[in-house]
Amino acid sequence: MNHISEEHLIDYYYGEAESPAAISDHLEACSECAQSYESMRRDLGDIKPVSVPQRDAAYGTEVWRSIRGSVPAYEKPRKRSGWSWLSLNWTFAAAATACLLLVAAFFAGRQWEHRNGTSVANVATAEQGRQRVVLLVLGDHLDRSERLLVELKHAEPSTEAPLQAEARDLLSANRLYRESVKQQQDPALASALDHLERVLIEVSNEPAGLSQAKLDELQKEMNTDGLLFEVRVLRSRVQEDANQKRGSADARKGVSIL
Amino acid sequence: MEANDHEIVRRVLAGDKEAYGVLVCRHSQYVFRVAFRITGDDADADEVVQEAFLRGYQRLQSFESRSEFGTWIYRIAVNCAVNMVNKRKHEAACRIGEETDPAMQQVQVADTAAGPERTLLSCEIESLQAAAMAGLSATERTAFILRHMEDRSTSEIATALEIAPNAAKQAVFRAVQKLRRSLAPLRVNP
Repeated sequence: MNHISEEHLIDYYYGEAESPAAISDHLEACSECAQSYESMRRDLGDIKPVSVPQRDAAYGTEVWRSIRGSVPAYEKPRKRSGWSWLSLNWTFAAAATACLLLVAAFFAGRQWEHRNGTSVANVATAEQGRQRVVLLVLGDHLDRSERLLVELKHAEPSTEAPLQAEARDLLSANRLYRESVKQQQDPALASALDHLERVLIEVSNEPAGLSQAKLDELQKEMNTDGLLFEVRVLRSRVQEDANQKRGSADARKGVSIL
Repeated sequence: MEANDHEIVRRVLAGDKEAYGVLVCRHSQYVFRVAFRITGDDADADEVVQEAFLRGYQRLQSFESRSEFGTWIYRIAVNCAVNMVNKRKHEAACRIGEETDPAMQQVQVADTAAGPERTLLSCEIESLQAAAMAGLSATERTAFILRHMEDRSTSEIATALEIAPNAAKQAVFRAVQKLRRSLAPLRVNP
């Protein structure tokens, strides 16, 4: 008699077996499998769901309040006569506006923190959490840019254009990040974003994939390797900022760090 | 009559930003629940909830009306929570050499559950269970939590973790095997 594998018994336990009736019959006929199943059932039965701390009815409102200031309203959809650069720009503009507001919130937070010095400790935890989420989103942009640059570094000449689509997607957000950063006097970040924008324009303007010549040009003339390093450093810095915010919030709350 | 989620999403995309608050209020409790179960920390879970709804808002245009908003935001939250767990593991690995530092010990609050009414055995089970769960990879842990505690199907787990259904099934399988091995000392032989 063939015994039932542990994998199938697990499926059966969770009600996902392909033929539960056959397993059921087998368990009645085979004491060895029945014993294995019983032991597994007992073990899994002992693992109780983690008890979740209660959040009161106002929790949702608090969550909304904490993110409300970081999100812009969507623009009403407009009638489009067809796909054109103009219509595409509206789509990018909505995403870009979101990015702009996030960056503005991020730098406003940093400026405020800078001016207030030691009184930072008095900032409400909820506000710290919101700023940290904003930093995470900025970190995401740098993270995506880093991945694109890594892919570019290892790209083979191709007639397909997945990198171009990603570059176009990043481009509009990057423009607004760059504009905001210029006003906030962060020359390192501004210069890196400026460099990144030129690379993104070059990549997104290639209509049919990237030729070997184009890849070489990007690598040598636009120094994409150097840019990759810059982006990595900046991403770490933004991440550190986010971690610091979390660290200070944790210190006040006295919560555990896993 | 309360507007349904799809109707609210349409309103938000038409410029009514405040309508998104209704979706946040409606879904934040269970998003918190899954975030807490995956991260195991309520401050982290709160952060995951905020991040999930913020990302949800930014990606709202890609939300397809044939799916449910609740399922969609749940999936985003699972992803955010897994990222958080991975980050915490990385941070813990970086700090491993500092464990004897008294300053570090001040923030290592290990036991939040013990109460006078608990028996010694249940404490032991809980502590072994927590240790066993901590030994799983982020994917195994999340797949197991979604399967065992959240009662999600293999295909739902696969979608939430953005992996193939077979990989999701294998993750649950590996998690069960590891947990059973870790909890074996508690078994009383007849």
